[in-house]
Amino acid sequence: MSCLHRLAALALAAVMTALAGCDLDYPEIAIVNRTEDSALLKNASFNGCVWNVVLANGVATSPGRCLPGTDRVHFQMLDARAYCQEQAADGTLAGVCSCDGGAAGSRDGGVSEDLTNVVPTWFNYQTVSVKHVSYGRFYLFEITSDDMEPDFSVPGPYGH
Amino acid sequence: MCRLLLCAFFALCLAGRAHAQDGGPPEQDADVGESQALGVTTDAGLLDGSAREPPAEAAAATPAEVPATQPAEAAAAEPADIASPASDVVVTASRPSSKDRTQDRTLIDGERVRTSARSTVFEVLSQEAADVYVPGRGVGLHGVASGATGGIRIRGLGGSPNTQILVVEDDVPDYQGIFGHPIPDAYVPHLIDEVLVVKGGDSTLYGTNAMGGVVVIRSRWLESEEDGYAVAGDLAAGSYATLRESVSLLGRTGAWDVAAAFTGMKTDGHRQGAGGGDMVGTAALRYRWTPNLRLTLRNKVVHVQGGDPGPVQSPTTDHGFDVWRNTTSMQVAYTRGKARLSLVPYLNLGIHRLYDGFYSRDYVGGATGELKLPLDRAANLLLGVAGEGVGGSVANRITGERPSVRSLGDASVYGQMTLQPFASLGIVLGARGLASSRYGFVPLYKAGARWDLGRGFFFHGRISRNFRRPTMRELYLPYPTANPDLKPEYAQNANAGLGYSSGRVEITCTGYRTEARDLIKYFGVWPAAEVVNIDHIVVHGVEGRVAVRNVGPLSASLSAARQGVGRYTRQNPDAKINFSIDFAQAFAAGFLGANLTGEWVHGLFMADYGRQPIPDVFVMDLAVRYRHTSRQRGMTLEPYLLLRNFLDRSYAYVAGYTMPGFNILLGLKLEI
Repeated sequence: MSCLHRLAALALAAVMTALAGCDLDYPEIAIVNRTEDSALLKNASFNGCVWNVVLANGVATSPGRCLPGTDRVHFQMLDARAYCQEQAADGTLAGVCSCDGGAAGSRDGGVSEDLTNVVPTWFNYQTVSVKHVSYGRFYLFEITSDDMEPDFSVPGPYGH
Repeated sequence: MCRLLLCAFFALCLAGRAHAQDGGPPEQDADVGESQALGVTTDAGLLDGSAREPPAEAAAATPAEVPATQPAEAAAAEPADIASPASDVVVTASRPSSKDRTQDRTLIDGERVRTSARSTVFEVLSQEAADVYVPGRGVGLHGVASGATGGIRIRGLGGSPNTQILVVEDDVPDYQGIFGHPIPDAYVPHLIDEVLVVKGGDSTLYGTNAMGGVVVIRSRWLESEEDGYAVAGDLAAGSYATLRESVSLLGRTGAWDVAAAFTGMKTDGHRQGAGGGDMVGTAALRYRWTPNLRLTLRNKVVHVQGGDPGPVQSPTTDHGFDVWRNTTSMQVAYTRGKARLSLVPYLNLGIHRLYDGFYSRDYVGGATGELKLPLDRAANLLLGVAGEGVGGSVANRITGERPSVRSLGDASVYGQMTLQPFASLGIVLGARGLASSRYGFVPLYKAGARWDLGRGFFFHGRISRNFRRPTMRELYLPYPTANPDLKPEYAQNANAGLGYSSGRVEITCTGYRTEARDLIKYFGVWPAAEVVNIDHIVVHGVEGRVAVRNVGPLSASLSAARQGVGRYTRQNPDAKINFSIDFAQAFAAGFLGANLTGEWVHGLFMADYGRQPIPDVFVMDLAVRYRHTSRQRGMTLEPYLLLRNFLDRSYAYVAGYTMPGFNILLGLKLEI
């Protein structure tokens, strides 16, 4: 092998070594719920990353490697307090009734079971602020009550 | 698993080396690589054809005497058969992929496909012609169903669903019975001899689906007329834990030819849910009873597994799919003089499973018979009969839903007359009568001309009426909706262009106009979605290409297209530019090559009526390879490096499906 060939092989190996880890240098991102005690968040996502976990207030996701770029944090939220109040008013929770008596105490004359919804409804939200992330850095994004808005942007699927 | 395959590959290579015979494939000289620097041609002819040794099929099929300096494709085409100029040099040429020289087309050499930095074969086609648009979503996997990309759009037709572009692989139309379009991940370059992209469709020759264009893929055989075999292996690894490996075998012994290849690719993807893999195994066996009578058997099995990662704003990690397909075909070909008779029966079977319980089995089966007859020195006649049926069953294994589907079928006869009243003028006239089980009689026709004006200038023009029957999905499957009253689509395509071609320079410019009627379009979203025929649309545009080759070690090409697509702008770009700069330098026992490519796409929308615009796409890739040939050991080693999106631009062809940033693939190719 000539000197030229050796140099070419060395250069190739050096380039490979330098570049092989590019995708391992994606930004690391964690999301923390800082809304309010009764708010639960789930399925938080950011720029291609999704965390399929439920976050109570003060709880953070594990760090995930996401695409570099710009996005808002998208998530689903359930207000547990409001949900509990609705269910108590509808009398769907045994042993729990609303302060004004509600339907629980007068089951027969109260809300029809057909009209009650015991399935919690998670609403889509996103942060108002836009986040930008770049290679090689760690980001902790806090979701707060004053930095969120309803998310109507979820697009339909593309494909065939 | 990977280690096992790697060991098997090198064991195979070493075994091949031990048994290599003198009659094996010719050793790769450095200048061969140099001639492959720009293996693309449009109407001007095959740029590198004069330096490429033809497949063995050539000698038994349609040998043509041509000057060595003429493009091989031009030489092998039918009019050249009629009036072969005298020459001291005999170059045998393979049967041309194109049966109609008046077609506006781009011909891409298989080696060009293999050495491209683009991830998939369809993306290579998009890179080589600006009027061909193929969106992507990640590293080497387009997928199926929701979130899939890889639909080909040629001059405004095709796309999503990708049913208006027909892919024909080794004379067999390749599409799924239920969905009516090909799987973009099913094509691997290792056995490809050449790819012909016919622009403007040709339903006269190819029947349904050939509305906007036809992609004709031809596989290769051993490029030697002596007994022997060639083994090639390619192993590559890179970003996102991507591993790609392939082994191919080409052989010839006595009256038998064999071509086989296995390719596997696996990747974690550039983001969650984008991972997956595919596996393609293909084998072909050819027996030559006599030099004039050949029987070819082919089988190809494809397994694609992956998922839809969803838009980055709402990612999904569990929207998986699993697809198996198998295509079997046979070809009997008999040649006598310049006459040729062939019969090709085929059967394409598939099983599709989706994450939501969708399960389908489908088939496409049929046969084509063709007779090519030279009538005299100035006329060739091509006559054909074809019949095809599609069917299948669909169920949702979770909900228990079983939509009722009815099989479809058609039979047709077609003919094409090629006339050459003067040496410089070629005229092609063709017609097809198609009888559909559902839509009755469908007349199709075409007419084209090509006039060589002398000194390298030429003119071509063509008009054709093309057709597509609705797919079973559009008719019967409520995903998201169906309409059993749909009518077939028709398109009248016209194009005309001028060109110039010399030894080093090629310039072409083509204007086109497509008027389509009863196009099938989806509107709205579930549960309010509908699929209906729309009245008619007109697409007009212009496409041009400039190529300069072998100026020192450099070759370059620039292709640009601009079109007006009217109201239906969804994934139908206004303008596209592709460029390529090739460097090729030969050494005593080696060859250094580099290929810089770029693509710019303008006027992309995610919805019709110019809504939901997508920022312009601009991406550049670089491929660098070094080929070392050891004549003593009879082997070639070729390390290569693909630098994709090396400018690390953030871009997307489909809104929300951000493409990978800068990523690499490092590979080693070994040929014996």
